[in-house]
Amino acid sequence: MSTGDRTIAARPPGETPAAGRWLNRLGYAAWPYLLLLPTIALLFAFTLYPLGQGLWMSLFKRGIVVVPQVESTHPVFVGLSNFVHLLDDINFRTTLIKTLVFVVVAVPLLVVVSLGLAVLLSPQTKFYAFVRTIIFFPSMISMLIIGVIWAWMFGRNSGLVNYGLSLLGIDAVPWLEDELLAQIAVIIVWVWGGAGFNMMVLIAGLTAIPKDLYEAAAIDNTSKWRQFTHITLPLLQPSLVVVFVLGIISAFQVYELVVSLTTGGPGRATVYLIQNIYETAFRKPDQAGMAAAQSAVLFVILMVLTILQLRFARKRS
Amino acid sequence: MIATNNPWRYVAIAVVLVMFLLPPVWLLLSSLKSQAEIFQWPPSLLPQNPTVQSYADTLSRANFGKYFLNSTIVSVLSAFLSVTISVMAGYALAKFRFAGDTVFFLLIMSALMVPLQIVLIPVFLVLRDLGLLNTLAGLIIAPAATPSGVFLMRQYIVNIPDSLLEAARIDKTPEWRILLRIVVPLALPAIGTLLAFNLVWRWNDYLWPFLIITEQDKWTVQLALANSVGRFGIDWPRLLSISVLSVLPMLAIFIALQKTLMSGLMAGAAKE
Repeated sequence: MSTGDRTIAARPPGETPAAGRWLNRLGYAAWPYLLLLPTIALLFAFTLYPLGQGLWMSLFKRGIVVVPQVESTHPVFVGLSNFVHLLDDINFRTTLIKTLVFVVVAVPLLVVVSLGLAVLLSPQTKFYAFVRTIIFFPSMISMLIIGVIWAWMFGRNSGLVNYGLSLLGIDAVPWLEDELLAQIAVIIVWVWGGAGFNMMVLIAGLTAIPKDLYEAAAIDNTSKWRQFTHITLPLLQPSLVVVFVLGIISAFQVYELVVSLTTGGPGRATVYLIQNIYETAFRKPDQAGMAAAQSAVLFVILMVLTILQLRFARKRS
Repeated sequence: MIATNNPWRYVAIAVVLVMFLLPPVWLLLSSLKSQAEIFQWPPSLLPQNPTVQSYADTLSRANFGKYFLNSTIVSVLSAFLSVTISVMAGYALAKFRFAGDTVFFLLIMSALMVPLQIVLIPVFLVLRDLGLLNTLAGLIIAPAATPSGVFLMRQYIVNIPDSLLEAARIDKTPEWRILLRIVVPLALPAIGTLLAFNLVWRWNDYLWPFLIITEQDKWTVQLALANSVGRFGIDWPRLLSISVLSVLPMLAIFIALQKTLMSGLMAGAAKE
């Protein structure tokens, strides 16, 4: 190969035969498309085409897999009736409301905790870099294992949380056995698992704020709190929006954590949208269309959020 | 902001450290306890008679070596595949003007709005039609294209000076050589960051294996883990030891590549 390259390189410009030049130009024109081909092909096969097919499926009553011998799995076009049925599907309604409550409580908490950590740990010294590394570590662990870690922490008669409370004279709390407490536990653990990553995003934003702004404020005897509300918060706004929107998008998909922390229980107290979609699809042989309709609702929510974020980002730049 | 030398700041740091360190350390310590000591109340903080019995049980009983090997094969190959195609696509979007370039960029970015969670059933059908169900190849190929990977590479490659590429073209260097000999070496820091993140994502992934693999001897560590939760009541000693074992490779990557990962994050790399 190297010999061939050398001959090409050694040939003085202008001597390339016309046909070769034409081929070269064609090759050059096709090159970026070739480079994009694997990514586009995979995204098409495993994301975009399935999205289209999923939306199409939501208009049918059908099984996940169409089995010729099983009548109920055959696709029947039903238009928008799946979506109408969703309105009075009690499981869908309760899981949608639960997911919304989860998003509304957990995301602001995540933003506040991450911001607090970022402000506390932003100084650029070795000591703070070390502390940041430790706080970031949970971001390297799968949500499944984070769930295991905390199921163990919250254990009623074995967990460290209740042991700590017993030292303060508080009786054992049934964290994962009570409906409300289990939902609170899921929120706490979700925030714990995501805080380190978002702290880093916010610290990247903090370090971009010019230092002389704080120096000028200090000369004017501005209080630390006023510096925080009048300099830090406004200038950190772009990073805060990123953390907020990414947080909302991932909160709507909360599931893996629940698998190992509560498995959706007690009862169905911590079943959120994604788990309900799977259960709908697999519960009866003809419910794949209903599951697809639920997915479509979630997709529209995520799409609106993403577009809002893009709008916001564009307005700023 | 609070002054750096304020004593309350150090109290706050100590509290935060305990909150983030204690749960994983508690998991590790518990996994080193004997069956009886695990459920002892009040719990002992440090194992009284440290034992690796649960680890021995896990490793001997549950095919764990096989799952570990599967996870390793899948994470390494999938991470390399993902980085390779992300570099290619990122380079095309950063350094070429061609018909439809904006459309391709938007198409790739639009995939960010479609998490696997909401297309699970149609993806299952695609995998079945391509014959990728129950294969490790499916686990390697299917998740390889990531919009965030392409975006990260594009942002990095944009900053490589055009003059370098033009000079090579004037010398009639073939395009594939420009990519391999100029772009790739200059983009190595970003490639390292993306590779590390991909290893973590793929190792920790639960949903793709959940979708693709049913045969037990093709399970990944995360599948084995999910399957030891909840089904017949939890076998805690086993679960604790599996959890610790499955975190160890991530801990190793984290310690080895800590600087790359943290600075990559600071540069604005996004999670998948």
